[in-house]
Amino acid sequence: MAGRRVVITGIASHLGTELARRLEQDAAIEHVAGIDTRPPRVRLERTEFIEADIRSPVVTRLLPRVAPDTLVHNRIERLPGPQAHDINVIGTLQLLAACEKTPSLEAIVIRGSAGIYGAEPAAPQFFTEEMANLYPLRTRFQRDVGEIENYFETFANRHPEVTCTMLRYQPAIGRGLRTQIARYLSLRAVPTYMGFDPRIQLIHVEDALDALVAAVARPVRGAVNVAAEGTIGLTRMIRMAGRPVVPIPHPAFAAATGAARRLGLPPFSHDLRRLLQHGRAVDVTRLVEEVGYRPRYTTAEAVADFAGSRVEAEAA
Amino acid sequence: MSGGATDEAIAALRRIRERLDSGAGLAEAWGDAASGLPREAREALARAARRLQGDYPEDDWGFDEEFADALRPFMDFMYDRWWRVEADGVARVPAHGRGLLVANHAGILPWDATMMALAILRHHPLPRHPRFLVLDWAFHLPYVGTVMRKVGGVVASPYNALRLLEEDQLVAVFPEGVKGAGKDWSERYRLQRFGRGGFVEIALRAGAPLVPVAVVGSEEIYPKIGEAKLLARLTGMPYFPLTPTFPWLGPLGAVPLPSRWRIEFCDPIETASYGPDAADDRRLVMELTERVRDTIQEAVFQNLVKRGPAFI
Repeated sequence: MAGRRVVITGIASHLGTELARRLEQDAAIEHVAGIDTRPPRVRLERTEFIEADIRSPVVTRLLPRVAPDTLVHNRIERLPGPQAHDINVIGTLQLLAACEKTPSLEAIVIRGSAGIYGAEPAAPQFFTEEMANLYPLRTRFQRDVGEIENYFETFANRHPEVTCTMLRYQPAIGRGLRTQIARYLSLRAVPTYMGFDPRIQLIHVEDALDALVAAVARPVRGAVNVAAEGTIGLTRMIRMAGRPVVPIPHPAFAAATGAARRLGLPPFSHDLRRLLQHGRAVDVTRLVEEVGYRPRYTTAEAVADFAGSRVEAEAA
Repeated sequence: MSGGATDEAIAALRRIRERLDSGAGLAEAWGDAASGLPREAREALARAARRLQGDYPEDDWGFDEEFADALRPFMDFMYDRWWRVEADGVARVPAHGRGLLVANHAGILPWDATMMALAILRHHPLPRHPRFLVLDWAFHLPYVGTVMRKVGGVVASPYNALRLLEEDQLVAVFPEGVKGAGKDWSERYRLQRFGRGGFVEIALRAGAPLVPVAVVGSEEIYPKIGEAKLLARLTGMPYFPLTPTFPWLGPLGAVPLPSRWRIEFCDPIETASYGPDAADDRRLVMELTERVRDTIQEAVFQNLVKRGPAFI
């Protein structure tokens, strides 16, 4: 049997590059290709880099040429920005159009987001995969994720021969990773909603990668939550990161962080604000039992590792 | 505070400053500085310093045992002095494994849940913290939701109840819900409808024993004589109670009246033998619901007689 052929979108991102490196080392993988608008920051050994924008129709010609059996869709923009909606929705649509023309395809693994569940005050403590429709999609990013999930579901129904795995990731944290939550915990003084101490659940960046590798090795049908086991209170998390807390009354929070943004601080997206007020946690039974991956770090350990790496960096 | 104590405190603060200036961590500095203080104060300071560095236990549900313990002296006061609680049958609560406590409910603040928990913590041979299901609107509010969570409150949702039971926890539910909380003074001790029996379905699904609990006294702490619909809409509360003291006396009106309480834990009703599929059997669910409700209602009447006058 010939080895597997994998295409990764968003190869220039940290997770995309690391995934390619891991797949390169796997003898069962015959060919790895990556699509992105810019090349990866580190040199990859045997990964074919395809410079293309997934929003452009050119992917419809490029993808069938590589003839992959597995597509990893890792180009989903989590940070708010003028491009985010286009990349997420139009990018996914173009990619699916390309998939329609790629008969060799057997599996699609999408690095989606647990943001689809929202952050709700009265939510179940742990969302399981079938609870995606409990609440309306309130933010731009949530609606994007909702559309992405719908497109893939439609595609999966049209092509029962292709296994579509929708990985719903909680926010990742870890050494050197510039995610929204990492930037938040690195602020000199960390704003919180006064009187709210929500339950936060994250995933360590190493686990985020290993879960992706596991899903590529063993794609399952449907949605799978990807998160560290356990939750942590926001206040405890900030204290572990060694930062002072600045409580802001909730009616003023959006205005205050908006003003801070004009002074040059990083933006607080609508999703991040809701997360900081109400929190969110997901159930990872499916990840452990069906994909067969158990995260090594709990949320508290992931935060401790992040805090430790920053102390080292500041000492150096 | 006497002059001596003030001086001591100032001296302690100075020592903290000195140690911090010489490059020690906050926890160490506090620890060293506090060495001149009495042991109890030292421990409290050390605990506070640890908490400031994020070193405290919390489970996945946000329950913070240290925080709950810190409230204990106040709760003990309410239990012993304010409400003079007498508890019966505490030993009937399962000592380990899952269990669903079902109680009557009154008042918008979960005093009844806290007193029930305290009765178990004080009188059970193998005490443990029960988790209680709290109406979701509490979690929309700052501080209220946070404190509820830290002392063992969980958003009332069937998913949460089932998950807690599957973790072999002791869970308390108040199936009367808002209807019970918003009862009029004239309807006190008459149990409201027990919803659609959702709590029985959950107990069946988890195979958890149902423990009916009758609480007498909680229905006199906030005698509701009316309600303000407009204020309820404005504040987002499920109802806005008017009592002889609330809201006329402001926050003071939230001080509960010192009625005399009795809490009786009745014989558990075993559900495991029905099997999890029995949760879909409407007839069985309604039957068990009624049985639990009748048990509680009867126990409430008996304990009302045993208690005698409400306030003396």
